[in-house]
Amino acid sequence: MTQVGPVQETLASRAAALFRAYREGDQASIGELVKLVTPILWHTARGQRLDRELAEDVVQSSWLALVRSAESISDPQAILQWLIVSTRREAWRVVKRADRVEPREFENDEIVSPADDQPDAQVLRSHGDTHLWEHIARLSERCQALLRVIAFADRPDYASVAESLGMPVGSIGPTRGRCLAKLREQLNNDPKWGQS
Amino acid sequence: MTDPRHPSLDELAAGAIDDTDDDVLRRTAAIFEALDPVPAGLVDRINFGLTLEALHAEVAELQRSANLAGVRGDAVSDVQTVTFTSSTLTTMISVTPASGDRVRVDGWIAPAGRISVELRAKAETRQTECDADGRFVFDDVPRGLAQFVLRPEGDEGRAVVTPAIEI
Repeated sequence: MTQVGPVQETLASRAAALFRAYREGDQASIGELVKLVTPILWHTARGQRLDRELAEDVVQSSWLALVRSAESISDPQAILQWLIVSTRREAWRVVKRADRVEPREFENDEIVSPADDQPDAQVLRSHGDTHLWEHIARLSERCQALLRVIAFADRPDYASVAESLGMPVGSIGPTRGRCLAKLREQLNNDPKWGQS
Repeated sequence: MTDPRHPSLDELAAGAIDDTDDDVLRRTAAIFEALDPVPAGLVDRINFGLTLEALHAEVAELQRSANLAGVRGDAVSDVQTVTFTSSTLTTMISVTPASGDRVRVDGWIAPAGRISVELRAKAETRQTECDADGRFVFDDVPRGLAQFVLRPEGDEGRAVVTPAIEI
């Protein structure tokens, strides 16, 4: 047993338990870990402006890097962060090499118009989701990259996930931080929000 | 907060995450899942890659497929035959419908040798040895994605892994 007691189960704690089981010789755990964590890594890579094909390569590379260095990872408890950092760095490296997208550090918070390759909102089923998406798309690229990854994590892990993304301390968790606050402000100021 | 309906951005940023935020983030995840989903099969491809890595194995090539082997969703009622080749081994696999959603898998490895054969399906992994002619059988296998791992015994060669096929 790796998780005993009233500790809240989060994505990070479940990932840590599976990784420890894998290191202790349970080969099947790695498959479970891949299934559990790949979605958040996918959104990490996509948030770094990689196209879908490159994002797929980057996520695969992160997992290979994990099994290759499994024995030398000093803090199995932080395996989720390890994977996110690895994905972000690999994404950054690939972006620079491939020159398929323009690398850029997230330095300022200016509002950018939605990029051309932004997903097509037609697939959203509910009107409320379309509406929320419009507000998300108005956020800075940096904030979008943060929130799309945070959305796949659990509240107790927000601060450590944000840190793994290279965001400054206080970006999110335990307080809202500016990105989530900005989204809430937009929603608060939207008379149509709350009806959906 | 002087006006709780219109707190400033700073007040909002310094405030604790509440249930509404949780709801917004849950819906945000659902939106990204719908707009930019994880590619179908990516998790399987990653696990396949990790298997190869763990075995230091060679990937066999799907040489020839009959009756739409490897293609999902078509009603396959007849025997299907698939051949995999690698630098050291050629493996022919025949899949015969048994009862309901079960099949029988007959294999033939050339050149024959002492080779252990593993069948990896979604729910189970089974193991057998090929006989002196290089033949092996798995009975009563559930339909679905399956892949084979061939391990020459002793130092007779590298393990070979086939791509996953629909049986």
